Amino acid sequence: MSKERVSRRQFLSYTLTGVGGFMAAGMLMPMVRFAVDPVLKADAGGDFIATPQKVADITEEPIRVDFSYKQKDAWYESEVTETAWVYRDEAGKIVALSPVCKHLGCTVNFGGDKEHPDQFFCPCHYGRYTKDGTNVPGTPPLAPLDVYPYKEKDGFLYLGKAEPRKEA
Amino acid sequence: MKWIPQEVETYLSAKEYVDTALVPLYFVSTGAEMKQSAEAAEFITLLSSHLERQFTGRIVLFPPFTYLINDDSEKVLDDLKNWENTILKAEFKHIFYLTSDINWRTKEDKVSGSIIWVPSIPLEQMNDSQKLKMIDSQAKQLLALFTNKWNEKR
Repeated sequence: MSKERVSRRQFLSYTLTGVGGFMAAGMLMPMVRFAVDPVLKADAGGDFIATPQKVADITEEPIRVDFSYKQKDAWYESEVTETAWVYRDEAGKIVALSPVCKHLGCTVNFGGDKEHPDQFFCPCHYGRYTKDGTNVPGTPPLAPLDVYPYKEKDGFLYLGKAEPRKEA
Repeated sequence: MKWIPQEVETYLSAKEYVDTALVPLYFVSTGAEMKQSAEAAEFITLLSSHLERQFTGRIVLFPPFTYLINDDSEKVLDDLKNWENTILKAEFKHIFYLTSDINWRTKEDKVSGSIIWVPSIPLEQMNDSQKLKMIDSQAKQLLALFTNKWNEKR
C-alpha cells in the first residue's frame, strides 16, 4: 500500500478514464473489425472444385471437362454445372479455358467450325478464338477467353473460379 | 438470356445480336395425367435452360406458354399466335417452341415459328449426373436445328 492517499478527485478521474476507455473500445473494436474484414475473409477464388478429369489423361487436344458444384441463390440451392476446355500447351503446362464467349455469353466449342478446326468457335455470332483462347480479330468477341486456375490433387484436376485475362 | 432483370437489360443493350426467342410450351392437366404433365414440364425446363446456356448470346428464353390440356385446341392456338405476333413485333426474327405435347405436331405449319417436339423422358429415377448427360445429349441434337435456321438467312 502506498503512503499517498488517493484523493476523491483522483479516484473519480481514474474510474471515469477506465469506464470511458471500455466504452470507447466497445465502439471502436467492431469498427476496426469491419475495416479489416475484407483482409481476413477467405479468398472466394481459393475454392477449388474437383473434376472427374485425371491429370494424366490430359493431352494437347482440348477436351471438355464438366464439373458441378452447389450454388445458393437466395434461398434456393441449385446444382450448377460448368465446363472447361482443358489441354496441355507446348511446354506441357495445363491450360483450362472457360467456354463462355466474351461477346454475349454463348458456349464455345473447340473445332466447332469446319473451316477452322483448331480454333474455338462460337455458333451464335461466329466468333472465334485461337487454341490459347485469344480472340481472333475481326470476329465479334473483344477479349480472350477466361482462364481457370487449376490444382492437381490425387491425380485429379481441380479447378477454381474462372478469371479474365489481363492482356487483350 | 434468361427471363431475369439483369439479362433482360443485357438484351436491351445488345438487341441487334439477339434475334431468336425460345418459348417452352407447358401443358397442364389434373387427375390421372397430372404427373405426366409435371414430368414433361421438368424435362422441358431443363432442356430449354440447357439450350439457353449454349446460345446465351443469341436466344431469349421466354417464360413458358402454359395451357390446359382440356382447353379447346383452336383457342390455345390463337393464344399462341397472339404471343407470336407480339414477339415478332419486338424485333425477333426466329421463334422456337419447345414442347413434349404431341398435339402440336399437327399444327406445325399453322405458326410461323418452329415447333420442336421432343418426347419427354421421366427424369425422377436418375441422379444428377445421369440427368445432365441425358439432357446434354438431347440438347446437342437440337443445336443443329438452331444453327441451320440461322444459316438459312445468313
